Amino acid sequence: MPPRIGSSSSLPKKLLNCLDTTLPSSVPSSVPLRRPVTAALTASQQCLFSTSAPREATKPQRLFREWLKTSGKKFQHHDGNGPLYIGRLTDEGEENRTMPFPSNPAYVSEPVLSDAARETIWECVMVNKMPLKAVSAQFSVDIRRIAAVLRMKEIEKRMEAANMQMAIPYANTVEKMLPRVNLTKNERPFEPINDIHVHSYTMQQLFVPVSESREFTRSDAAKAFGGHILPPDSKMRIPELITLEKDIAKGVEPRVAERKFIAATAKHEAEFARRLKIESIKEEQNKIRVNSSRNVEFRFEKVNVDDVGRDGRARSGVGWRYGVPFNDRRRGAVKIPTSVE
Amino acid sequence: MVVKIRLARFGRTNQPFYNIVVAHARTARNSRPLEVIGTYDPIPKRDTYDESGKLHKDIKLDVTRAQYWVGVGAQPTDTVWRLLSMVGILQPKYPKQQPDGAPVKK
Repeated sequence: MPPRIGSSSSLPKKLLNCLDTTLPSSVPSSVPLRRPVTAALTASQQCLFSTSAPREATKPQRLFREWLKTSGKKFQHHDGNGPLYIGRLTDEGEENRTMPFPSNPAYVSEPVLSDAARETIWECVMVNKMPLKAVSAQFSVDIRRIAAVLRMKEIEKRMEAANMQMAIPYANTVEKMLPRVNLTKNERPFEPINDIHVHSYTMQQLFVPVSESREFTRSDAAKAFGGHILPPDSKMRIPELITLEKDIAKGVEPRVAERKFIAATAKHEAEFARRLKIESIKEEQNKIRVNSSRNVEFRFEKVNVDDVGRDGRARSGVGWRYGVPFNDRRRGAVKIPTSVE
Repeated sequence: MVVKIRLARFGRTNQPFYNIVVAHARTARNSRPLEVIGTYDPIPKRDTYDESGKLHKDIKLDVTRAQYWVGVGAQPTDTVWRLLSMVGILQPKYPKQQPDGAPVKK
């Protein structure tokens, strides 16, 4: 639809001007020929393509423009140094800069590991050959995050070596917009590393008579709550830290205690690797590999038919089970894989 | 009645998966068999971290039970015969032929 000429348009005025020049002098100029133009428009309000007047700004719009000119001026351009959140005033009147959305105080932007931090972690493990647990304890980064960083860094290095194209400017820009941690010495701990799950059985009050002469430890407490409850020492991810703290409390020099801690974690890691290797060897021994003519390998895994149990319904039995529903497409069941191979 | 060693198709549309079963010949394909002695996944797969692109098929088999059933006269179907001959329970039913008709020597 073509733009319409409204009553406040400038077109009648222009026409009037044209008329004015051609009018004979006998006509008094004070007498208006047409309807008078109600309001003259400023140059900024006029559009080149449209003759209709713009809508008047609403109050929130006007306030927003005012805010952009005053205190909101710094939010117009990102300076490339950390997050630029509007934030929210805390109860003490300070501005909380970790909240991107002022109306949603529940949403807090958590810091991420910077590229330098991730590189440090990779170097500690792959170059200096430190055990994962020791690196996790040193930087206060969860051991699962350490493992994830290593996997991603390995992929990155492989892509670099293969001269593959990477979105580095994009990654840098995103990183600049987020609060990040460099894992330097003066920073706060990145995250808690030794949190344990609190079993609901241990939340109840329990009275256990114990003789005064007996030392009642955390493992005794776990036993008191029930035979299947684990003591915190065996639940936490880095139980070696307990020995470290105990040693320091006993008066062992911190450097010596730390060295002992690193040795203990390295031993645990070696033991874990040995166990994995034995498992894989056992698995391989249980297999027969046959190469077919179609360049496809047939892998026969030896099983035992008796695993199905007396009623033939045991889950560990071989093959699809008969007479039992297979709930792989049931509504509400989580079908997302829960492990990385 | 003849006892056969045959495949019973499970899995989904376009996603076959077989139980290797010992069953009476005249029973339905997916009815409860005498015994399930293994599984056969016919879709070739790659190893997760192997970049050579080599394919493999996963089969589970109770070799001793298979030997027993063959020994007491169970008749494997052609497909099962091929699988059992790979682990040396049976001689290949259709040995590879050279162009002159002589069997291929391994």
